[in-house]
Amino acid sequence: MEVLALVYRNLRARPVRSILTLLGIVVSTASMVLFLSFGEGLRKALGAELSRVGPAILVLPEGVDAFSPGYPELRPEVLKRLEALRTPLGITQVIPYVVLTRGGFDPQTAFIFQGLPQGLGPQSINPSLEAKQGVLVPGARGAILGERVALRSGLGLGRTLRISPTVSVKVEGILKGSGGLSDNVIYVPLEALQAALDTQNYTAIAVSIAPGHKAEEVAKAITARIPQVSPQTSGDVLKFAERAVRISDLVRFGISLVALIVGGLLVANTVMMSVYERIREFGLMRALGAKRRFIFGLVLLESLLLGVAGGVLGLLLGEVASAGVNWYTVGEVGLALSSVTFRLAAFALLVAVILGLLAGFFPARTASRLRVIEALGRV
Amino acid sequence: MLEAIGLHKRFPQGDTAIVAVDHFTYRFGPGLSAIVGPSGSGKTTLLNLLAGFDLPDQGQVRLGETVLSQQSEDARSELRLRYMGFVFQQWNLIPTLTALENVAFPMMLAGKRLKERQARAGELLEAMGMGRRMHHLPHKLSGGEQQRVAIARALSLNPPILFADEPTGNLDSASGAKVIELLRAQAQGGRTVILVTHDLELAQKAERILHLRDGQLIREEIIPSLLPTP
Repeated sequence: MEVLALVYRNLRARPVRSILTLLGIVVSTASMVLFLSFGEGLRKALGAELSRVGPAILVLPEGVDAFSPGYPELRPEVLKRLEALRTPLGITQVIPYVVLTRGGFDPQTAFIFQGLPQGLGPQSINPSLEAKQGVLVPGARGAILGERVALRSGLGLGRTLRISPTVSVKVEGILKGSGGLSDNVIYVPLEALQAALDTQNYTAIAVSIAPGHKAEEVAKAITARIPQVSPQTSGDVLKFAERAVRISDLVRFGISLVALIVGGLLVANTVMMSVYERIREFGLMRALGAKRRFIFGLVLLESLLLGVAGGVLGLLLGEVASAGVNWYTVGEVGLALSSVTFRLAAFALLVAVILGLLAGFFPARTASRLRVIEALGRV
Repeated sequence: MLEAIGLHKRFPQGDTAIVAVDHFTYRFGPGLSAIVGPSGSGKTTLLNLLAGFDLPDQGQVRLGETVLSQQSEDARSELRLRYMGFVFQQWNLIPTLTALENVAFPMMLAGKRLKERQARAGELLEAMGMGRRMHHLPHKLSGGEQQRVAIARALSLNPPILFADEPTGNLDSASGAKVIELLRAQAQGGRTVILVTHDLELAQKAERILHLRDGQLIREEIIPSLLPTP
C-alpha cells in the first residue's frame, strides 16, 4: 500500500509536470493507434467486400492484381476457352466484365463504371444488392446506379449519363445503400463500355463454381490450361491485400515510432528529474533497510504507471480520432477506412507498457545505485 | 552486540588525505552512549561506519558474529532493517507518506502484513503522543513532532540498536528535552542507543560519553548513576 501511495503521491506532488508528461504519451499513443487503425480498417472493409462477392474466382490478365485492373486485356478467346472448361472443372457461371474509371481520383468527382453482359445485373456479382428504385437488370442502353453515386451526382431515374461522346446510357435503377464499394459503382451493359473504349476485350472474368468444388483447385486447373491468365480466389486477393497492408502498416508504424520515442523520452526525463529531486528520500529508504531492487522497482513503477495511464487515455483519444476519420471517409466514399480492433488496442497498450518500462529503466538503475552516504548528504 | 575494532577511515583531498576516524575501537553495550566532539572530529563518519552506510579503510564493525564490511550493500541494508533504528537531524521522514505510513515503512520492507503494521505503527505513535497527528503528512508536523515520528519508526521493528544523529539539532529546548527523554527511556529498557552530538550538555544525559577529537577516541566518561539497572 505504501509503495502505491508513494508512487501516486509523488506524481501528484508535481501535477503540472506529471500531466504534461502524460499528455506526451497520450498524444504519441493516440497517433500510433490512428496510424495503425487505417490498416485494420482496410482489412475489415476488404473482408466485408469480399464476403459479399458471389463468384469464387476472378480471372485476370497475367501479372495484374484485383485492385488495379487497368485497360481491358483479356481477349474474347479466353472467355471461349473458359466456357469450354465449364463441365470438366465444375464451372457454373462465367461473367466477363469491363471496368472504366472517369473523373480522376477524387472520390467526389470520379465515376466507376462496370460493364456486365446483357441480361445480368449487379446481383450477379454481389447477390446481397437490392433495388431502391427501378429495376435491378439494365436494358441494352440502361444503367443501375449505386446509392451514393446517384445522390452525389443528383441522378434520378430516366436521367441520361454520357460515358463517351458516342455512348450514353439512361438511369433505369438505383440500388439500396450497402455500405460497400458498390454504392459508388454505375453498372452498365458490357457492350456499351466496350464501345466507349473501342475494344472487344474484358477487364476480368468472374467465375462461379458448383458446390463441392474447391476454388483453389479450379483456379490451379485454369492456370494450367490457360497460361496467359491469372485466376485469383478471394483467399488470394486477401493474401495479396494482407501483404500490401502489412507493408503500409510497417511504414505507418515507423512514422508513429518517432512520436513514441518522443513520448518515451518525455517520461524518461520526468522520472530522471524526479529521481534527482528525491535523492535524499532514496538515501533515507536505503538507510532504513530498503534494498536496491526496492528502489529500482519503485522508480520503474512510477514510469510504468505513467505509461499505462498514458496508453489507456491515448487509446481512447485514438478511438475518437478514428471515429472522426470514419465520419469523413463514410461521407466521402461510403467506407469506414479506420478501425480500432481489439488486437490494435492490445498492441497499443503493450507498446505503452514497454515504453514506460524502457523510459523508467535508466532512472531506476541510477536511483538504485546511489550510495547511501552520498544520497543522504552524509559525506 | 556492536563492536568497532581498529576502525580507520581517510578521505583523499588533493595530494593529501584527511583522517576522519583514526583506529577507533569500542564495544557498545545496552544503555545510552553519547559520541561527542567538535565539528570535524569524525562523529558523522564514525556513525556512517558503525551503521554500515560506509566501509572502513581498515578495521571492522562487528554486529554479533557478523562483520559488516564483509557484507554486500543489500546484506548491510537487511542487517540495518533487522537490528538498527535511525533518527537523523533532518530529512528524517518520507515527505509523501503520512506519519502512520512512515512508521509502517520499515515493517513493509520486512514483509509484515498490512493490518499488523498499521496496528503497531498506531500504537507507537500513541506512545509518542502523536495519536492525533498520525494521518498528517510530515510538512504539517512541527520539528519536534517529526522527530517523535522518526523515533516511533526507528522502534517499529523493535531493533536492539538505535542510532540518533544530532536528533535535537533543529529543535527548541522543550522539544529537544522530550526527544532525549524518549531516547533515554529506550536505553533504560535495555536497548543500545548511540547518540551523536556536539552538545556536551545533551551528552550529560548519557551514561557513557565518548569524546572524539581528530577521529580518535580520546576519553571515555562513565556516569554510574545513569547506568541501566540490571
